[in-house]
Amino acid sequence: MTPAIHVAHALPNPIGILLACAVLVAITATLYWMLHPPTTTAERAARATEREVDEIIGSVIIVFSQEIHSEHMMSLAVRVARRERAQLLAAYIIEVPHTLPLDAEMERERRDALGVLQIAESIARKNNVEIETEIVLSRHVAKGVLEIAKRKDAHLIVVGAYREGKYTGAPIGAAIEVIAAKATCDVLIGVQGNKGKILTPPQVTGRADVKPATQAPTV
Amino acid sequence: MRSGRRRISLGRAGTQTHVLATADITRKPTQEPTLRRSVTPWGSFSWGYSDVGADIFVGLGLVLGAAAGASNVAFLFAGIVYVCIGLAYTELAAAYPVAGGGQYFVFRGLGDIFGFIAGWAVLLDFTIDIVLFAWSCIDYLSKLVPILSFVDHPWVHFIVVFAVIAGLALLNIIGVRESSAFNEFVSGLDVVSETLILFFGFLFAFQPQLLVHTMTFSWPTPFNLMNGVSLAIISFVGLESISQAAQETQRPASVIPRTSISLILTILIFALAYSNLALGMQPWHAIPPDAHGHAQPLWKYLGNENNNGAAVAVLASYVPYYGHLAAYYVPVLGAILLLISSNSGVFGSSRIAYAMSGTQLLPSIFQRVHKKYRTPAVSIVTFCGFAIIELIFAALPSLSPPVHYVYSRLFRGEDGITFLGDLYAFGAAASYSFVFIALIALRLNDSQSPRRFKMPFNIPFTYRGNRVEFPVVAVIGFFGIVSILVFTMITHEIGRVAGPLWIFFGLLGYLFYRRRKKLPVFRSQPHDWRKAQINILQEAGELEMMDEYLVNVKDMDARRVSATAETLR
Repeated sequence: MTPAIHVAHALPNPIGILLACAVLVAITATLYWMLHPPTTTAERAARATEREVDEIIGSVIIVFSQEIHSEHMMSLAVRVARRERAQLLAAYIIEVPHTLPLDAEMERERRDALGVLQIAESIARKNNVEIETEIVLSRHVAKGVLEIAKRKDAHLIVVGAYREGKYTGAPIGAAIEVIAAKATCDVLIGVQGNKGKILTPPQVTGRADVKPATQAPTV
Repeated sequence: MRSGRRRISLGRAGTQTHVLATADITRKPTQEPTLRRSVTPWGSFSWGYSDVGADIFVGLGLVLGAAAGASNVAFLFAGIVYVCIGLAYTELAAAYPVAGGGQYFVFRGLGDIFGFIAGWAVLLDFTIDIVLFAWSCIDYLSKLVPILSFVDHPWVHFIVVFAVIAGLALLNIIGVRESSAFNEFVSGLDVVSETLILFFGFLFAFQPQLLVHTMTFSWPTPFNLMNGVSLAIISFVGLESISQAAQETQRPASVIPRTSISLILTILIFALAYSNLALGMQPWHAIPPDAHGHAQPLWKYLGNENNNGAAVAVLASYVPYYGHLAAYYVPVLGAILLLISSNSGVFGSSRIAYAMSGTQLLPSIFQRVHKKYRTPAVSIVTFCGFAIIELIFAALPSLSPPVHYVYSRLFRGEDGITFLGDLYAFGAAASYSFVFIALIALRLNDSQSPRRFKMPFNIPFTYRGNRVEFPVVAVIGFFGIVSILVFTMITHEIGRVAGPLWIFFGLLGYLFYRRRKKLPVFRSQPHDWRKAQINILQEAGELEMMDEYLVNVKDMDARRVSATAETLR
C-alpha cells in the first residue's frame, strides 16, 4: 500500500525528536551503567592502599654501607621514585671507628662509596630520575641512616641484604634491624631468598669487598 | 597463552578464547585448566554483541517481509520473550560461570539426554549461524558490489558464500582469528553507528501519522503475524556468547549480570526502534517502484527479496543527511559484523561439540585435534559440512528451476534466506525452551548455589526441606518461547520438517552411541556436582560465593541428618 502522506523535507516531528533523544539517552545510559560495575571489597582496599602510597611517598632514601648491600634494590627504588615522582637520595654511610676522629680521612672507604654512588647515579640517569647522593660519616651505620632520614624528612628508607656464600641463618644484619626498629618512616628491606635471583647483587661494582665475577681489578 | 603449548585458535573473541581453547583441548585427566580472566565488561559485552548485534541486520528485512505493518508488534512480542531468556541466561551464567552456555545449564539441570537435545539444537543454530550470516554478509557487500546480488547473480552469490564458509573453516583449522581488540572495536563502532542511524532517522524522517497509517492499513493476517514473530526471535539469538565467555570474564558474578542486561536492553532498543522507524519513516528521496511499477512504502521495499538480506544498510541510506555517509560504510560495517558472527558459528559449534564429547554426549572423535595445528579439525569440518549442506538447500531453488518448482509446490516457494531463518528460529526456540526448564529445575534442586542475580518475581516455598524460590518469569518465558516454537512449526514449511528431523536423527545417533559405549541411555551418568560447583567458583575467583556455597551445603546436610534422626526416633 502506498502511504497517503508524502511530506518531502518535512520539519522534524516533536515525537520524532523525542524518540531520537530517547534512543540516544537510553543507549548511553545503558552502556555507562554497564561499564561502571560495583567495586569489590578487595578492589576498594587496593585503591585505598594505592592512594595512601601516593600520598606518603615524597622522598625515598636508598642506603648503602659496608654491611648494607642495596645495589640490587637500586632499580626498584628508582622505579618507585619515578612512578611516585618522589625525590631520591642515595646515601652511603661510612662507619668511623671510635679510635678515629669523626672527620677522619678514610680513603679506601670513601673510594668504595663513590663507586657505589656512581652506580646508583647511573641507574637513576638511565631511568630519567633525578638523584641526590651523599656520603655520611657516622659512628654507627644505623645512627647515620636515622639521622639523614630525619634531616631529609624521608618517607621511605630502602635497604638491601643478601646472603653471602651459603650462610642463610640471619641475612638481615644488625644495622638493618636497628634501622627497622627505630625509623620513624617506612623501611623497605630487600632480602635475597635462598635461591632467589632477582635480588642478587650486580656483578659489576665499584665496591672493594664485592668482587666482580670477571675478576676485574678492584680499586 | 600458557608456555610450552602450541596456540589453539577456535573462535572469535581473541586472545581470551585462545587460552580457553588451549585449556580445553589439551586437557588431560590430571590437569586442571587455568583460564586467564582477561575479559573486561566491555569485552564481555562486545563478545555477545558481535553475535546478537548482527542478528538485526538479518532479522529486520525478514520480519518486515512477513509481518508488514505489525513488524514492531512482532519484535515486541519476541522482545518480551527475549528479555525473559536474557534474564534466565544472566542468572545461570552468574551462578555457574563456566563455558558451555545453555547446553551446560540443561545438562546440569535436566540430565544427560536433555543436555544432548539442547546441545544438538544449539549445534543446529550454530551451523545455521555459519550459513545465514555468511549469506547476509555477501548480501550487505552486494549493496556496494552489485555482482554479488543473490537475485541477479545467484550462482556468483552461492559460490562466494561457499568460499566464505570454506575459508572460515580453513582459518579455524589453522588457527587464525580476528583479535579481541578488533572485535571490541567493531562492536563499539556498530553501537555508535546504529545509534546515529536511529537518532537521525527519528529526528528528520519519522512521521507518527505514517506509522499509525501503516499499522492500520498493512496489518498482516494472523498467519503472517505468527510468521513474523517466529522470525523476529532470530534478531535476539546469541546470548549464549556471554555465558560461554563467563569462565574468562573478570569477576563474572558481578560483571555478567551487567553486561547481559545491557546487551538485552541495547538489542531490544535497536530492534524496537528499527521496526518502528521502518514503518513510520518518510524518506526525503524517492523509493524505486515495485516489480509492477507501483510506488511502494519504505518498509515494503526493505522487506522484498532483493533487500531483506541487507535491510539495515538500505534503511540507513534513506536517513536524511546521515544516509549519504551511511550508504557507504554501513554495508561494510554490517558485512564485517556478520562475518564475525558467521565465524562465531564455526567456533561455537566446534566448542560445543568438543564439550559434549567430553561429557560423553557425543562420540570422542569430536575431541580429536589436528596434529599440526592442535585445533578440533574434525568438529570444524563436520559442522561446516552441515553448513554447506544447508547452504545448498537454501540456494538450490534459485540455482535450478526444477527445484524451484518442487519448493513452490511443497514449501510455498520460500526463498533461501527465509529457509535459513526458519531453521534458525526452530533451533533457538527449542534450546531456549530447555533452558527455562533447566532454570526451574536448578532453582529446586540446587538452591545451595549462591545466585548473585535472580530473575524477578519469585514465589518462595519449601521443597524437600529446603527453602527455594519458584521463578514466575521463567514460566512466562517458557510459554512465550514455546508459543514461538509452535508459530515456527505452523508457519514454516521447511522448519517444521527439517528442524524436528535434525533433533530426531541426532537423538537416534545419541541412543546408538550410548548403547554401544554401554552408558546409561535414558538415564544420566553419576556426576559429583558439589565438587564441580566448588571447582567452578574457585576457578572463577568467586571465593565469597564458594564460601557461601560450602556453608549452604553444610547447613543442608545438617538439616538432613537431623531430619533422619528425627524419623528414626
